[in-house]
Parts: sequence; C-alpha cells; structure tokens
Amino acid sequence: MRDDCSADSGAQPRPSRRRFVQAAGLAGVTGLTGVAGCLGGGGGGGSNAITYGVISPMTGPYGGLAVGQRNGAELAIRHVNENADIDVEITGVYEDTEADPSTGRRKAQSVVEQDGASYLMGAISSSVALALNEFAAEEEIIYNPGGAAVPITGSNCNEWVFRAETNTAQMAEAVSDYTAENLGTKVWFHIADYAYGESVMQRVERRMRDGHDIEVVGRSRSQLGSTNYNSYVSQIANSDAEVAVLGMTGGDLINFVKQAASQGLKESVNLMSPTMTFSVVRGALGEAAYGTYGGVRYLPTLETGDNQSFVEAYRSEYDSLPDNFARAAYMSIRMTARGIAEAGSTDPAEVKEVLPGLEMDTILGPNQFRDCDHQAMNPVWPGELVAPDGGSGPATVELGEMIAGADALPDCGELGCSL
Amino acid sequence: MSVASAVAEQVLNGLVVGMVYVLLAAGLSIIFGVMDVINFAHGELFALGAYFAFAIAGPLGGAGFWVALVVAPLLVGVVGMGIERLTVKRLYGRDPLYHILLTFGLVLIINDLITSVWGKSAQPFPVPSVLDQPVALFGFNYSLYNYGIIVFGSALALGTWLLLNRTRFGMIIRAGSEDREMVRTLGINIDRYYTLTFGFGAALAGVAGIVLGAYQNVSPTMGSSVIIPAFVIVVLGGLGSFRGAVVGGLFVGLVQTFARTYTPFLEGLIVFLLMIAVLVVKPTGLFGTSVGAGDHHDGALLHGSGGGVLSAETRAKLGYAGVGALLIVPLLAEVTGVTYSVTLLEDILIWALFALSLDLVLGYAGLVSLGHTLFYGVGAYASVLTLMHVSPSVFVALVVAVAVCAAIAWGVGYLSIRVSGVFFAMITLGFAELFYNAVFKFDFTGGSDGLFGVDAFYGLAGLGIDPGEFTVPLGPFVLDGGVVQYYFLLAVVVGSYLLARRLIRAPFGSVLQSIRESEERASFIGYDVTAYKRRAFVVSGGLAGLAGGLFAANNGYVAPSFLHWINSGEVIVMTVLGGMGTLYGPMLGAGVFVAAEDVLSSYIDQWQLVIGVLFVLFVIFVPRGLVSLPQTVADHPIFESAVGDRVGEQAGVTDPEVDRHE
Repeated sequence: MRDDCSADSGAQPRPSRRRFVQAAGLAGVTGLTGVAGCLGGGGGGGSNAITYGVISPMTGPYGGLAVGQRNGAELAIRHVNENADIDVEITGVYEDTEADPSTGRRKAQSVVEQDGASYLMGAISSSVALALNEFAAEEEIIYNPGGAAVPITGSNCNEWVFRAETNTAQMAEAVSDYTAENLGTKVWFHIADYAYGESVMQRVERRMRDGHDIEVVGRSRSQLGSTNYNSYVSQIANSDAEVAVLGMTGGDLINFVKQAASQGLKESVNLMSPTMTFSVVRGALGEAAYGTYGGVRYLPTLETGDNQSFVEAYRSEYDSLPDNFARAAYMSIRMTARGIAEAGSTDPAEVKEVLPGLEMDTILGPNQFRDCDHQAMNPVWPGELVAPDGGSGPATVELGEMIAGADALPDCGELGCSL
Repeated sequence: MSVASAVAEQVLNGLVVGMVYVLLAAGLSIIFGVMDVINFAHGELFALGAYFAFAIAGPLGGAGFWVALVVAPLLVGVVGMGIERLTVKRLYGRDPLYHILLTFGLVLIINDLITSVWGKSAQPFPVPSVLDQPVALFGFNYSLYNYGIIVFGSALALGTWLLLNRTRFGMIIRAGSEDREMVRTLGINIDRYYTLTFGFGAALAGVAGIVLGAYQNVSPTMGSSVIIPAFVIVVLGGLGSFRGAVVGGLFVGLVQTFARTYTPFLEGLIVFLLMIAVLVVKPTGLFGTSVGAGDHHDGALLHGSGGGVLSAETRAKLGYAGVGALLIVPLLAEVTGVTYSVTLLEDILIWALFALSLDLVLGYAGLVSLGHTLFYGVGAYASVLTLMHVSPSVFVALVVAVAVCAAIAWGVGYLSIRVSGVFFAMITLGFAELFYNAVFKFDFTGGSDGLFGVDAFYGLAGLGIDPGEFTVPLGPFVLDGGVVQYYFLLAVVVGSYLLARRLIRAPFGSVLQSIRESEERASFIGYDVTAYKRRAFVVSGGLAGLAGGLFAANNGYVAPSFLHWINSGEVIVMTVLGGMGTLYGPMLGAGVFVAAEDVLSSYIDQWQLVIGVLFVLFVIFVPRGLVSLPQTVADHPIFESAVGDRVGEQAGVTDPEVDRHE
C-alpha cells in the first residue's frame, strides 16, 4: 500500500531525469509541481525529508520472501525517523514488482515520478535487480538491491547501487572450506539452470579447489521451477559422491531435498546448499531438512551488533521472527540513512560520495559498503541443520565458525567491478 | 550398481513422474472431453486440494493425511461444482477461447484467496510416516512413497476409467459429450451431470494436489507450475481422451526422465518438442478422434460491434481526437507534473501494438494463438542483440526484429495452421514455451538474467538523433530525448494501426473475414484458406515482434520474462476486453488493462482478486468487449424504453463491418 500523501511527507515529486519536455523557466513551473504532489503535505517537511521507494515481488514466486523485505523496510524507516542521531525524515512508498523486470521498472519509475522517491530499495530476483541497477544510474538515485546475484555489484555494478544483502560469492566463501574439510571431497554439483545456480557452481568449485584436493564426480542441471528430481537423486545416489552441492533456492531446493530425503539419499550423501538455512526452506521442509548443511547469511539468533534489539522490535511489530530478507531490507535503509546523515544532505549525488567505505555499526556488527563495489562486508557462517529441541518442526541451525566480512568478500577485480 | 538396475531405477523414476502427470491431467481431460472447457483454473484447484489437506492434516497428526485424502477432494469437488454453476455454465456453447479467459480470471481469484488465507510462503506437508522411508527392492533403495504414487495413481486411473465406461453415470456423460441435445431430449437432466462432472474433475485435481503436495511442497505457485505440463499431456494424449491422458502422461514421464540422464541439454525442451512432434504428425494427439473442438459446439468468436450506436464518422472523429490527445500528453504531463503518465502511456502503446497484432489473427482469421508472446519476446531479443552487435540504430534493430519474427511466424504457421481450434492454441503455446526455456540455456541471450544496458540511436549511419544528447529549445520549454522516444513510438503504433486497417479493407482482409465466417464456403469459392491464414499469421507475428523490439529498444534491456506465457494470456484478455475484430478495440483494451493493473496494484493488496472478478464478470456479461458497451447499454430494456425512438433511428446506421451472429 502506498501512503504518498501522508502528512509528514516533505518530499517534492522529483522530476525524472528521463524527461520529455523540460520547463526552461523554472519559476513558471515550481508553482505547478505542487499540483501533482501532495497538497497540504510538507507538515514535517524540510531539507531533510526523503522518500524511499520499496518495490518488492509481492505477487509471484518470491511472494513469501517479499513480505519480509517489505516489513524490514517499514521497520527501518520507523527506526530511522525515531532516531535523534540521524536527522532524516523518511517516507516509505511500497509497490509490487510482480517479479517481472518490466513491471518492476515501471513501478520504480512510478515511485520516482509520482512520489518523488530519490532512494530505492527492493527486488529479489537478479533479473529485476539488474533492470533497477540500470534505472538507478539513469535516474541518478541510490538503489539497494535485495538480490544476491554477484553481477549486481560485480560486472553490472555502478556508483548508485549499494547492497546490504550478502552476495553469492560471499556465501561460497562461507561454505567451501567447510564442505571440503567436513563433508567430503568427492563432489556432485546439482544446480537449477539459471544465473544463480551457475554462479554457485563456479564460485564454490573454484574456492573448494583452492587449497583442497577435490574431485567433481558429476554435474547436473534441472530446469528452473522443476517439480520432479527423482532422476537426479538416482544419478547422485549411484555415483561415488560424498557431498552434493545444490545451487538452487526456494521451491526448487525444497522439492529437491524433500524427494532426496524420501529416497534415502541423505544416508549416503551429504547435502549442502548455500541457502539451506533460509527460514522458508526450513519451514517448508520440516524433518526432511535435518542433517543437511547450508550457508548462513542471517539468523534471528545471531548475537552480532544490535541484532537482538532488531529481532525484538520486529517480533513485537509483526509477531514473527525476521528472516534474511527482512534483515537485508532493514540494513539497506539504515545504512543508507547513516550515509545521508554523514553527508549532511539528502541529495543522492552527495550521499553516494560519502557512503562508500563509511564505517558503521549494523545488526551484523561493524560494517561498510566496500569502496570499490559498494557491497556490504557482511560476515558469513557455515551451518548444520539439526532437529530442534522439541524433536519436530523446522530444523534449527548449528553455526560453524564465523568468517569475517573482510575474509568472505573476494577482491573487487575478481567480481568484475571497479568503482 | 549394475547398469541394468540403474536403468530399472530410472524406469521407476519415469513411472513416478508419469503417474504424477496422469494425476494432473486426468481431471483436466475429463472436463475437456465432456464439456469442451479448457480449464486454466485446474492448477489452482490442484493447489486448493493441497491446501485443504494441509489445513485438515495439521491438527489431526498421524492419521491426518488419510482423512485429508478423503475429505479435501470432496471439498474441492464442491468448490468445482460451485464454479460450474456460477460461471462456466453461462458459457456453454461459446468458443473455448471464452473458457480460457473465464478460467484465467478464476486462477487469479483462487490464487489470491489461497495466499490471503495461508500466506505466501511454502508450507510443510510431510509424507505420512508409514510411507516416509526408503525400501530396498530390485537391488536399490527407493522411496516407499514413490511406489505408493505408482500404485495409487494406477488405481485412480483404473477407477476413473471404470466409472466412465462401466456405469450409468459414465454412460450419460459420454452420451452428453457426443450430443447434448439428444441426451436432453431423452429426458435426462444433462445440466446436472455437467455440474457433477466438473465437480468430479475438480476433485481429481484435488487428489493430485494432496498426493503431490506431500511429494513436493505446498505453496501458492504450485498451481501455475503444473498447469502447462498438464495441458501438454492432455493435448499430446488427445483432447478429451482419458486413455490418451494416461498413456500420454506415462510416455512423457519416461521420456523426460531418460532425457535427463542421457541428453541433459534437452531438459525443459523435450516435453514441448514431443508435443509439437506429435501434433504435427497426428494433429488429434495420440488417441484423439476429431480434429478441432468446433465439431462439438456451434459457438463462435464474438466480435466487437462498436458501430451500432456510433456512426463510422463519429468513430473516426473519436480516433483523431484520441491521437490528438496522445500528441499533447507529454506537454500536459510537464505542466501538471504528472510525468509518470507518459511512462505508463509508453507501456500502454507497446501493449496496444501487441494486442493489435493478435487481433489480426484472432479477430479476423479466427486463430486463437496462445503463444503470441513468442513473437513479442523474440522481437525484443532480436532488437537488443542487433543493437549490441550489429548497429546502434533503432531502425536497423526494428527491421531485424520484424524480419526474424515474420520468418518464425511463417515456420510456426507452416507447421501449425493446418490444425485448428484448441490444437492450434496448444501448439503455439508449445512453441512459445520452447523458446522461453531455450533462452535460459545460452550465453548470448544472457541466460536467466537477460541482456542489459543497451543504448539506441534514432537514425542511420550516424545521421539522426541520440536521445541521450538531444535537446531543442522551444519557447518556454526544452524538448529532450524522451520526446523523440515517445513520438517515435506513437508514430510507429499509429502507423501500424493504419497499415493493419488498410490490410483488412483490402481484398486480403475480405477473404480473411470470409474465412472467419465460414471456412468451408471460403474454400468452396476457391480460396486457399490455409495460405491466407498463414499470411495473416506472418503479418501478425511481424507486428508483435515490432512491439517487443520497440519495448526493448526504448528501455534498453530484455529478459526471459518477455517470453513467459502469462503475456500471451494477458494480450488475449486485452483483445477480448476491448472487442476483437475491430483493430482499435484491442488497443483500447490494452490501455484499460495496463492502466487498471497499474493503479489497482498500487493501492490494493488483493488486486489480483479484483482483476480476476472483473474478468469473470466481463467474459460473462460483455463478451463483445468494451467497444460493444454503447450497444449493450442501448439494447438494455431499461434504456430502450427510456429513449427507444432515438436509438431505433441510430441503429439504422449500421456499419458494414459489424457482424453479429448469435
């Protein structure tokens, strides 16, 4: 829902960079722009008011994750507005991308042109996030992607994009050593056949080969959105594999692990996926997830930074625990707001100059958007999924050793970005 | 493990997948076979079964699964009967196109209701513990639940076959599917049997949902992920043939499983290749008996009839006024500050062009293309690839896009136009899905991400306008690059409309319309019906490619979602919403659809529900589209009695294009 005319909105509708007819005489227009904006708005308005557009895939395959993203953003905006140290008044505008790049881009255009947003957060799938990357650069607004694909802050990076979500390369660091050392050196890679799956396979394989003597005994690719995995499960079971690395998420991962568990694969092969610890995955798998392994981007139980007060606030507001997507949205907006405070200006062009490399405390501890690619230096963990104390229900995660932000993030050059 | 037992295991896997397909397709096949209804909502009924079971089994614990297996399908059956009574029933005798549209609306409604009750995340629905263990048979471990699926699926298929072929109920249903009137004449209340059949089909979907919910997971997207494969099975086996659904399901399951092991590159493509191959060789599917659903019903496509109230002259004036308004929108937008209206309008113009292209084949040649997004998407890819690798000129990119799409349309048309009706819809869907899955596989198409960051130049050989640099002072205003894009787009769309109108008013168009009215008579006169249809399809494919190419060039990117079947569905909705067979109606429909979705999705969380309800009401009450609204209102008894005389006079000014066949 959008509340583009809330009383404390002081943001003027901001003319799009991609304009059609520009008024040459500014004076002739200023009086008129108010017509489109919120008449009577600007109660708490001033130079420190901004509008944050939050566009999430509320409908479509990522709907379950998008709810967390929207909640996390809402909570961040509330906390920033309440925080006396950060002199920014944020108005949030929320839209649905329908997980479609065309719709996502149009909605982005809408929040910029209709609601005067000069900051943008959202998207989960890399296709939509990449479309918004381009959009942010064209419009010269700051964008925090909610997707984890490497190219967003890698080969497709630009100076307007700041990512608080942990990317796939960082997750590969989290799980690679752990997998080679504890789960087996005869590896089968099974991936969903799309960019994310390919990138998991490439990164994990490269990192595992680095310092370990591993053997790739097989590879298989399933179509994104497949529902039957028996055939792959049999192929893996009939190989020498000690561990299967699964480059897939969401419904694909859930279906794979459920069918693998039912076919008894867990007894002979360790299953590892960078996203296995996601709360949606654990929630949908129940017992089938016990005894599998994954990477950890975030868990509500983490004792890092001020995470516990975030979890408490989130729980009292939404009556549930925050997941990784709520965490990423919350961090995105709070970190960007600190940049605004540091710059002493709400102008995205000035904020993007001070935000890179700016040290700050976050719910994942001391952090920053790295100078050379604007990727947040989040710590990561390997984890094992075990039966919870009660004996049934979603698995709990036993954390392995933390890998610090600086160690988890490969060099910018390697990821294809230099800003 | 020996090779033999590895193969045996894969055969078993294939049978499990095949049984899954049989379960999915059985209900769909029965509903189509008896009622000629293409039920797109089948996937959502399937999901509903799983969700009902999830709700029932959760609180009951261990025995819950078995209780749910009985109760949930009954509930879904009741929902199905309700749907039949309230909506589907009103559309019997109409072209299957309207069932597609109606059930498309139902998909949105049911899906939105599911997410509002059970949330958007996947839910845990475990296999009952008795079956949740691997067993060692034939020398390998295999899931007991998978054996269960094979046994259960076989029993259900056999039971359904017996019901259809060995009971009085089945006999009446089979008779009804042959000749509804005859059955009614014999004193049997066939309507009641139709309701029961729909309920039975829905219940079968519910059973499949439960069995597969435990095998996969229970999530709001489970319905949309199975509907396309289910259609493929039904069409491949032969529409309306229950035996075909069973054999088709097992066949596809086995082929797919072995392809995964031995030809992994074909993953995602093999199913559609199979379907296309079968339909090309045997257009009725493996066990189908009649070509074209047209034999079963007398329903026709209902065309818009805008001329009833408004004279041709008035409509022309409205057209000029519309184009005039579009011309000054950018200026107005700047003055009022509502610049987003231009962005939205650009999207609307693209969809209007896309809908126009579909109307040429749907409204004039009577071909229901369910894969039209193939041309939209390929046009977009062709345009971006040309801009990236060949020339930065928009003109070159668009020419390439149109040429490539026209060529593909010729090829697809060559293979598919000889099959008619529903088969044509399905074969075009198959081609579109083939391309959709193929772009994921290649680097040059950018895989699942697509291709980004393309700049377009509005000129040739260095002479022209770069929108990034362009500025022209004009009195108190400065025109910039956005203006070039907008007016170029507007010019192309208006130009395409004029071209299409010229084509329809030429002898070519007259022949098309005569084919639409009566294919048989047109061929008696000596026209090569297939050739004419194919030419229309080529023009249509080219225009759709132009729409996709324009969108990609204007926005500088392309992604696989451009080829997703949902676009094909939406463009059909726009065409019918506006009023097919009028050219301008579909364009109007595109405007209303895109604007309504944009506004609703911004302000209402349950926007899919609202749009779904609007669809259903529209298909039932205003099937001739928006352009027929004046006529519909004028024909309404209340309106007629109030201003009867005046309307009577005006109705005399009928347009020759207007055709009404009740």
